[in-house]
Amino acid sequence: MCETGDAADSRDPAPVDEEARFSELLEDSAEDLYEHAPCGYLSTLLDGRIAKANTTLLDWLGYRRGDLVGRMAFSDLLTVGGRLYHETHFAPLLRMQGEISGIALELKAADGSHLPVMVTSTVKTGSDGQPLLIRTTLFDARDRRAYETELLRARQEADQERDRLKLLNTTLQKTLLPPTLANVPGLDVAAHYHIASVDEVGGDFYDLFPLAAGTWGLFLGDVCGKGAAAAAVTSLARYTLRAAAVYDPDPAAVLANLNTVLNHEYQGTDPRFCTVVFGLLTPDPDRGGFRITLASGGHPPALLMRADGTADYLPTPGGQLIGALPDAHIATTTVHLAPGDTLLLHTDGLTEAHTTAAGGEDRYGDEAFLDFGHDLAPTTASDTIGAVRDLLRTFGTGVDDDTAVLAIHVPRSLSEEQQ
Amino acid sequence: MTQHLTLSTRTTAAGTVMELAGELDHHTAPQVRDALPGLALRPGQQLVIDLKGITFCDSSGITALIAARNHALAADATIALAALPEHLARIIRIIGLDQVFPTHPTAQHAEDAWRTVSD
Repeated sequence: MCETGDAADSRDPAPVDEEARFSELLEDSAEDLYEHAPCGYLSTLLDGRIAKANTTLLDWLGYRRGDLVGRMAFSDLLTVGGRLYHETHFAPLLRMQGEISGIALELKAADGSHLPVMVTSTVKTGSDGQPLLIRTTLFDARDRRAYETELLRARQEADQERDRLKLLNTTLQKTLLPPTLANVPGLDVAAHYHIASVDEVGGDFYDLFPLAAGTWGLFLGDVCGKGAAAAAVTSLARYTLRAAAVYDPDPAAVLANLNTVLNHEYQGTDPRFCTVVFGLLTPDPDRGGFRITLASGGHPPALLMRADGTADYLPTPGGQLIGALPDAHIATTTVHLAPGDTLLLHTDGLTEAHTTAAGGEDRYGDEAFLDFGHDLAPTTASDTIGAVRDLLRTFGTGVDDDTAVLAIHVPRSLSEEQQ
Repeated sequence: MTQHLTLSTRTTAAGTVMELAGELDHHTAPQVRDALPGLALRPGQQLVIDLKGITFCDSSGITALIAARNHALAADATIALAALPEHLARIIRIIGLDQVFPTHPTAQHAEDAWRTVSD
């Protein structure tokens, strides 16, 4: 920056002149100070009648001095709510304590507009200690009120955003699930998805869909993690499974395909994987019912509840989770679903649920779930899902992960029921 | 419910031992992932994850273990798990990872096993 001679001159007035100007400024009369102070001044008699008001206050309110002094009381300047507050709190406290400060009230101007103010009052007493009058200062609180309004508005906006996010999460979750399950002739199917938290999208998924030549594909799985990243994997898994099943419906081949896709997509320090069961349902014309081949990629075993009242897991030992390893091993098992049998697939949100609200190490577990199957068998798809929903309800907030369940049941024919 | 994971690493002749204690889940798994790039693993060495103090591990925790395995393999090193609590051993078995993570009763056993192989 370059300084010119002119600039230097103008910054350098004679010291004597400066002092003179300063003292001139200070020869401000007490009267002027009172009248044009940056706050409103008001003196009222003990009965509230206005005895004195400064120009600042008169200007704010748009009154002439004669309108107020001797004619109106302080409470006449207040809004209805303010008047009530003045009567019940302000005046009694002032009488008791001799002073009151920082009270937010609204004044009513001559034109009917409202002026938010912060009010402080003290009682002036005579030499004998008797109260004489009340002195009040009023500060313009429009900025403060605007700030408070702004805070409130921001808060409301944040609440709305949160609601929108919840709605978005719920909607996204729904798009990851079939709106309705396909209707399979000769099979009764039911499913349920339990959302553990509306703040984050979970990663469970399932579907049941037709394949060629009277066969059906079904799957149920659980993507690791939560939130948008997990939802993206869920979406990829769903569409890959459906497309791969059309290409080659062999369950192990379907999961091998998904493994290749996920493993290529997500590697390194942010691996993404899922555990999943894929089933191929084929009608069994000789024995009745269906044959189902299940391939499992590290997923909890399916629970078979038979017509004779027994229940067992269908383990697929050695199956590895899908997407984490370049060459995951996939294990398969094949069973016959006879009329009256029900097969239940689940995600571990159910078996890992805390059984008490305290949330300790008391998780529901595989053994308890097998007992649940024993108690239920023989059952139907809808009864099974109903019972699972009841079970989840008893856990309440103990279910800290999303839970998906899919049940398929081969109904007995009328003639079988009569036997 | 506050969740905590304590993580400490020490260097041995065989490589690095990472000791984990507490809950390994959605909230704490990033701690493990963030610690991986800082590990100095030489080719042929072994990364041992000592899980003795783990009280809970969910799918995000499993992700962290897989990330650790990827990190070790990328460095031409190997990985082993030590002192798996029973519940975690069961999960590892269900998801088939017992086939890719050698497991040992203690970190010392893991180190001894590494010596036997490399001798």
